[in-house]
Amino acid sequence: MNQPARTPFVAALADAPLPASGIAWLDQARRGNLEAFADAGLPDTRVEAWKYTALRALAQRSFAVGDAQACERVVDPSAWAMAGIDGPALVFVNGVFRGDLSVLDALPAGVSLQPLSRALVDEPEALRFAMSRHYREPGDAFARLNGAFATDGTVLRVAAGARIAAPLRVLSIGAAAGHDLAWHGRHLVEVGEGAELTWVEQHLGSGEQAHLATQLTDFTVHADATLHHVVLQQAGAGSSLVRRSHYRLDARARAHLHVLELGGLLVRHDLRAELVGDAAAFHTHGAFLPDGRQHMDTQLAIHHQARQTVSTSTWRGVASGRGRGVFRGAIVVNAGADGADASLGNKNLLLSAQAEIDTKPELEIYADEVKAAHGATVGQLDERALFYLRSRGIPQAQARTLLTTAFARAPFESLADAALREHIQQLLLARLPD
Amino acid sequence: MTSESVENLAGSAVLRDNAEVAEALGRNYAAGFVTDIESVSLPPGLDEGTIRQLSAIKREPEWMTEWRLEAFRHWQSMPTPDWAKLKIDPIDYQAISYYSAPKQGPKSLDEVDPALLETYEKLGVPLHERAALAGVAVDAVFDSVSVGTTFRKKLAEAGVIFCSMSEAIREHPELVRKYLGSVVPQGDNYFAALNSAVFSDGSFVFVPAGVRCPMELSTYFRINAQNTGQFERTLIVCEDRAQVSYLEGCTAPRRDENQLHAAVVELVALEGANIKYSTVQNWYPGDENGVGGIYNFVTKRGDCRGADSKISWTQVETGSAVTWKYPSVVLRGDRSVGEFYSVALTHHFQQADTGTKMIHLGKDTKSKIVSKGISAGRSSNSYRGLVKVEKGAERARNYTQCDSLLIGKKCGAHTFPYMEVKNPTAIVEHEATTSKISDDQLFYCRSRGIGEEDAVSMIVDGFCKQVFRELPMEFAVEAKKLLEVSLEGAVG
Repeated sequence: MNQPARTPFVAALADAPLPASGIAWLDQARRGNLEAFADAGLPDTRVEAWKYTALRALAQRSFAVGDAQACERVVDPSAWAMAGIDGPALVFVNGVFRGDLSVLDALPAGVSLQPLSRALVDEPEALRFAMSRHYREPGDAFARLNGAFATDGTVLRVAAGARIAAPLRVLSIGAAAGHDLAWHGRHLVEVGEGAELTWVEQHLGSGEQAHLATQLTDFTVHADATLHHVVLQQAGAGSSLVRRSHYRLDARARAHLHVLELGGLLVRHDLRAELVGDAAAFHTHGAFLPDGRQHMDTQLAIHHQARQTVSTSTWRGVASGRGRGVFRGAIVVNAGADGADASLGNKNLLLSAQAEIDTKPELEIYADEVKAAHGATVGQLDERALFYLRSRGIPQAQARTLLTTAFARAPFESLADAALREHIQQLLLARLPD
Repeated sequence: MTSESVENLAGSAVLRDNAEVAEALGRNYAAGFVTDIESVSLPPGLDEGTIRQLSAIKREPEWMTEWRLEAFRHWQSMPTPDWAKLKIDPIDYQAISYYSAPKQGPKSLDEVDPALLETYEKLGVPLHERAALAGVAVDAVFDSVSVGTTFRKKLAEAGVIFCSMSEAIREHPELVRKYLGSVVPQGDNYFAALNSAVFSDGSFVFVPAGVRCPMELSTYFRINAQNTGQFERTLIVCEDRAQVSYLEGCTAPRRDENQLHAAVVELVALEGANIKYSTVQNWYPGDENGVGGIYNFVTKRGDCRGADSKISWTQVETGSAVTWKYPSVVLRGDRSVGEFYSVALTHHFQQADTGTKMIHLGKDTKSKIVSKGISAGRSSNSYRGLVKVEKGAERARNYTQCDSLLIGKKCGAHTFPYMEVKNPTAIVEHEATTSKISDDQLFYCRSRGIGEEDAVSMIVDGFCKQVFRELPMEFAVEAKKLLEVSLEGAVG
């Protein structure tokens, strides 16, 4: 096969200087990943994982690596103020850690939290396993970029038995710069045995910008531990955001995930969970609301690798304008994972003639003592429900908003934290027209 | 052969250049052209020469030869598809003979493999049919010619054309030219391209406007059905308001040394037409160690071209080592309806990747998909489906249900449904479940004195009922028995 012509995207990044760490294994991994990226470029839609997300437009753009002025960018902290939540927070502006905006002074006992840039200096060996990875799958272009260029992010450890009540937040903020930037966040979260953590990940954009951000996050949830992971994605209207979250759950570990996708122009989120310990449980909930020309692609893959593992997934899509929502929800039950119980549902509302929903629930089952079910629907608001509301004197437009909001918030009803639940409700109300 | 077609062959510049063909023709000529031409076998290998020879042997017109060559050129440029969840050893296309003379079958039932006869016994195949199915020269047992003739007469009176594809190319070239490749183009996919280049034979059905075909058509009744070989090509056309029900396949296990079976089936339904296509596929699945068996790579597609038309696929797939098959419907006409009912059973080392595609283009189009997969032994069984609603398909409606049943710890059952919706008035629904045979149900049956194997087949039968209901009655009875036979040894 002929080598495809280098797109502006690849050209701009493939020759960018790699960050020098002075750590041999890290430099080597970065070089390897950059070479792999330069060789393969961006995946096209023939790569199954990218079937519904064309990167042609992105490939024609070029980005500068990192933001030298990130520390001087002015951002308004009120943008991420959240009623009832004022715990520790790490703030990154254009990918760079901002100590001045972060709140790290009142860490609860048992929590070790620091930016990756610092951890790489203090204890590089502890990060070696995660940071020396090479990404080899055909659709891994962004993971490779991240592996090559990521210099900052979060390293969070919760000690065994520590139960942290207040949510910890990480904020990734895109700020206007003279030109389009690409930055790469790398986060490592470890919840010790029997510990509990609520981790709120927020993406915000301030001002006009069309940056590209990639993010790789590894969650390790040890035996009997509980992780609550909440993602509020409100990235800037022109920005591209490609994330991969990887979860590893030990015996009896539980993870509850809630994702709300509102912002960004080209948004992709890969969620991969490995239930490696017996009786591990993974519950995912999410809503994506593409509008305008937004493209939102969620790729969820849950691997049941041990006995008595449980997963449930509730996802809702609401596509309006020229928005396009893409969802893949794969459940894999390995041989020997007896007693696995998996269910997944993805319901979608298609609200305009130019919008599109592509959904693909998948089951791959290699064990027989299992229960697995999935369902997906694409449709409209229930005419009877609309009629009922109107017969009670609620105007048409308001009735529609009411039903649409109810539809989109359903996944968040299981959210344990009342303040977060209320915040999400407000975000949904603000988003949907009345 | 008419003198004209001989001239056609001799007059072909390309053929003249091909010494091999000339020699083959010459040899045949010397031996008596008309009677012996059918017994020519081509040596293994595939190139343009093979296709010209094949076309010449079949006495096809020039346009058909060109059509095949076009497909062949396309095929050569295509990569082997690897997206299906199948483990397949590479196929050596040069090791296959693309035309072989009719096989010399056993001369009487005494020469037939006793295991095969035992299976027929279990299926309850009538005695005279057993011989036919085992490949014993048919007319020795019952008069297929007279059977065929009776049916043909009745069909001709109704105006229905039902003949082999080769015959149709010669007798009804205008119809074949108009419709062949109009649903599955030559370059549609790898195996369809290969089939277009080398198809041996198949069925052709044409039901004129307003005619309801007076009987269910079946390959079984077609005289030369025995020799349709590896690369079948079937084309069914229903004109306005016409109706036909077509049954394909044999309902008893058929031993066959063929390794590759790449068929193409095209259905065309014009305004108000109704086509029902039922298949019971039971090619040799390989033995319990996964040795041998047919690779069944089939492209089946129906085109609801006219408004208010309907195409319904029903399939029971129990055979073949590997099945790669997605009977589809393009819902072009307004208010057209597509249906897909499927039972796919895999055992031992069988692999099946099968499902359907429903492409909604017209307004108020409807589709329904019911797929039941049963995996046993070390087999792998995947449902792969696409429901696509294009922008103009106002109020399109789809309902999909996929259930999988697992019998044993070493098999796999997978579901890959794709849903692409571009119209806000469409409603698309998909549901799937995977489970093993319920212990409660088994226990209940056992407590009523029903043996384990019988209990399993009762439960499987219940699991498949929704699909069996769609089969013509005699097919349904045999399909049920076929599952029982195929599941033998799956439990315990």
